[in-house]
Amino acid sequence: MSTNVASERLAAPARETASARILRSLNRTPIHIFLGIIAVVWLAPTIGLLITSFRPRTDIQSTGWWQVLGTLNFTASNYGDVLNANGMGQSFINSLIIAIPSTLLPLAVCSLAAYAFSWLRFPFRDTIFLVIVALMMVPVQVAFLPIQQLFKPFALTQGFIGIWLAHTAFAIPFGVFLLRNFFITLPRDLIEAARIDGSSTMGVFRTIIVPLSVPAIAAYGIFQFLWVWNDLLMALIFVGNSANLPMTVKITTLLGTYGTEWHLLAASAFLLMFVPLAVFFSLQRYFVQGLLAGSVK
Amino acid sequence: MAKFPRILALPIAAIFIVGACGSSNTGGSGGTGGTTGATITVTSLWGGSEQESFQKVLDEFKAKTGNTATYDAQRTDYATVLQSKITSGAPPDVAIMPGLGFLRQFARTKGIKSIKELGLDPAALEANYPAGILDSGKVDGELYGIMVKFNSKSTFWYRPDTLQTAGASTPKSWDDLKSLITTLQGKGTATPLALGAKDSWTLTDWFEEIYLRQNGPDAYKKLFSPDGNWTDPTVSKALDAMKEVLTDKNVPGGIKGALGVAFTDGIAQAFGENPTAALYYEGGFVGGIATGQTNKNLKIGTSIDWFGFPTFGGSGDTAAEIGGDEIAALTTKPGVKEFIQFMTTADAGSTWAKTGAIISPVKAVGADSYPNDLAKKEAAQVAGASAVVYDGSDTLPAGSPDMGAMLQDVIQGKDAAGLLSTFNTGVQKAWADEK
Amino acid sequence: MTATPVPINPILPAKRSARTERTTWPTVLLFLGPALVLILIFLVYPVISTLRMSVDRGLGGEFTRFVGLQNYIDLFETPSFVGSIVNNILWMVFYTGFVILFGLIIAVVAMRVRYESIIKGIVFLPMAIAATALSVIWTFVYALDPHIGLLNALLGVVHLGPVSWLGDSGFVNAALIAVGIWGSTGFATVILSAALKGIPAEVLEAARTDGAGELQIFWRIIVPMVSLPISVLAVTLIVNVIKLFDIPYVMTQGGPGNASRVIAFEMYKQDFSAGQFGKAAAVAVIMLALLIPVMIFNVRRFRSSAVV
Repeated sequence: MSTNVASERLAAPARETASARILRSLNRTPIHIFLGIIAVVWLAPTIGLLITSFRPRTDIQSTGWWQVLGTLNFTASNYGDVLNANGMGQSFINSLIIAIPSTLLPLAVCSLAAYAFSWLRFPFRDTIFLVIVALMMVPVQVAFLPIQQLFKPFALTQGFIGIWLAHTAFAIPFGVFLLRNFFITLPRDLIEAARIDGSSTMGVFRTIIVPLSVPAIAAYGIFQFLWVWNDLLMALIFVGNSANLPMTVKITTLLGTYGTEWHLLAASAFLLMFVPLAVFFSLQRYFVQGLLAGSVK
Repeated sequence: MAKFPRILALPIAAIFIVGACGSSNTGGSGGTGGTTGATITVTSLWGGSEQESFQKVLDEFKAKTGNTATYDAQRTDYATVLQSKITSGAPPDVAIMPGLGFLRQFARTKGIKSIKELGLDPAALEANYPAGILDSGKVDGELYGIMVKFNSKSTFWYRPDTLQTAGASTPKSWDDLKSLITTLQGKGTATPLALGAKDSWTLTDWFEEIYLRQNGPDAYKKLFSPDGNWTDPTVSKALDAMKEVLTDKNVPGGIKGALGVAFTDGIAQAFGENPTAALYYEGGFVGGIATGQTNKNLKIGTSIDWFGFPTFGGSGDTAAEIGGDEIAALTTKPGVKEFIQFMTTADAGSTWAKTGAIISPVKAVGADSYPNDLAKKEAAQVAGASAVVYDGSDTLPAGSPDMGAMLQDVIQGKDAAGLLSTFNTGVQKAWADEK
Repeated sequence: MTATPVPINPILPAKRSARTERTTWPTVLLFLGPALVLILIFLVYPVISTLRMSVDRGLGGEFTRFVGLQNYIDLFETPSFVGSIVNNILWMVFYTGFVILFGLIIAVVAMRVRYESIIKGIVFLPMAIAATALSVIWTFVYALDPHIGLLNALLGVVHLGPVSWLGDSGFVNAALIAVGIWGSTGFATVILSAALKGIPAEVLEAARTDGAGELQIFWRIIVPMVSLPISVLAVTLIVNVIKLFDIPYVMTQGGPGNASRVIAFEMYKQDFSAGQFGKAAAVAVIMLALLIPVMIFNVRRFRSSAVV
């Protein structure tokens, strides 16, 4: 069940695992070298961007970031420039305005529906659920034209409502699937006891299901938040008012405008990465769990 | 859909009268007595120094009419985003667009309002312009877009200092250009010809200039019309000429390198702080970007200047190509009419012209409005041209295959005949679809 | 490069005990209503509507001229569309293959060391980052100028290059796919690592006493034992590829020429932006059709686990 977090299992002492023994006979030095190379390949590009974002424009053009020890010349002015002059500050706020409701709404909608699919009995329950699981694969491209035309009379893309609704709807199949898989593993006795005590269906949901499911709900919430924060395509289509553009879209306009302005590009890309990285480092456990999508033993 | 015979939006054979009546202020600064306090949004694709220049015009609009116009840059995906905004019912109020193909399409699908629908009198506005100039904004006989600025595309940029050191002079003919490149290569500039071909429209401009000069304005207009035939030998001849100079040897990083270089990075190759090239072909707007953004230390006439695109000895040698932007209204919100009207005035035109970023088609904008010799020369080049043609790739239908992408393939040495034949089929179909 | 949500594990069957309460319709609607309404409006209706639009010329949003399958025929006669499908296939083969291969190798090797979780964390890091940011990071790495581009600086050390990674149509797809692999390997590592730890020690012990070599054990035992997670992973990655948009959009805009276009980009750029909505809808339908096998795969897994 999904509380049995993958990362916890992964953290088990390496020596005890069976397949680890396969490699026992190998010399360990090549292993360290290999993993060292892997670490460098996976870290260097990101660290390079971070360093570049703090270097003055002229330095960026004359020496590589890997030569930075020779100059040790840093500035925060790139960040000042993108935040103020290029409107990246507003876009940062827009990204939050888009991502927070687009996370909370699906959480509410999906928890309710997942509960119905796991603990209520009604006709065609499993069929409806199957259809929803199948809809998980519908590409967002399918919705471009129909939804734009649907939004048109209300100009929903002018504000944030359009993008909130679109993100919520597209999150439902996965969210319902994930949460239902978790909910059905909750102890039946607890739920029945509450029913016998006279709790309503909603009461059971509020007092039993939700409190017990915090790990799963948190995992899903983090996943959904990052999904929305990192989204480019939906924002391109469903954010019509350019005052409301999130960072992902804003950065692509910067790419077009400033062929040579590497310093601005680096700073804004790092701003975009800042929130996911903070989430990653502080909530890594839930985060991996969200991606593993309710890993079941 | 189109009930009228199509009027091909090309015939700007008008002679521009620059500096004819320098001082008169036509139109009385826009909407006097009209709306005030309104806020509208204007979108176009300029960023950086070009955006700063346009902002001055918007400030002037606010000062003159009390209305606010806020600018949105949409650089990368202009047409897609505009289309998407129209489809979802959240269009900007005003768009300034480069593509006549899009103008036609938006007009026919009612995405944009005609000038008449706004309550403006097309005939009165036309009086502010040289005869024929506004024809480019007409769709099926109705005026939808007004050209608010243009740039010559027949300007070839160079570094006078490098040429002087090499003892070379500016080329007149195509052969002169080729020998200039060889001379520079012999004098320490190994790759004299900067190229930013990642932005594929730089290649369409190369092609258009060559084709215009080799074949004359009439053949040029025909090529970019529904009657155009891209499998015609004249097309492959122009491509051959293009490939004579756009070679691995002449271009920094070679052709493949150039295909990874953006337009602005191409400018930096020639005019940045550490130049590796001395020549860069692109339109008149290069001057403003190079001096205002790429390198503020450039000295006009010493480290940056331009000469007319080299000649081929044909009837097109005295013609000029321009890339113009058309302003069009997408809504009829209060302030929109005032803004469009303002943009046709000498106030707007000269404010913008003073930034050096553009040439104004408004008659009343005089030569003295241009801040430097680069822009003055540019205005004079177009005014003195025997014929003026519109940027051809901008006039192709919106559904055409990507002409720039096709040219990117051609300069890599792929089979040009095959590419042209495919392209021809696609363009023919797009023209037919447009009806 | 946040992964497309795909169920990694089989869907658990619901408890079929008679004690599950039969619920009244108002209660069911209270719980299910919001989700169903949103799904009907945003997923079911668009699928039907897009099918209809795809058989109309739909220029500029006017859906009044039925053209049958003409849009589909046109698409397959458009070289840039066919090219984009070829590129998607390249992505499917190389991106999917290398992500799984690297993921498996890193998972197996990292198990041997005490800093396993750190290595996995490092490799996993790009999963948190937007594909837009990934693309910017790698635009730097690939830059032609050896003062900016790490790769060309390295080549310069051995007196090679510079290579125009994004401007050379021979390299561009490999360059973009490498970015995708870099972004997704951590996902595979974490999933496969979890699966590897489920292999019983006795199985390996037995193989070893039978005299099997380590390489043999890898191919004959480990790979088959994790074949189910691998197949699910492959499906996830293929879905990623079909929906792929951000990396080519940000890094190359499909260029040079049309060399790096993919289906989702082609739809956005060539058809959607040109107001050719009929064709754009047809591309969306083709994407949907490509994903139907995945739908069936998922539903089957549900069925099979429900029977057990």
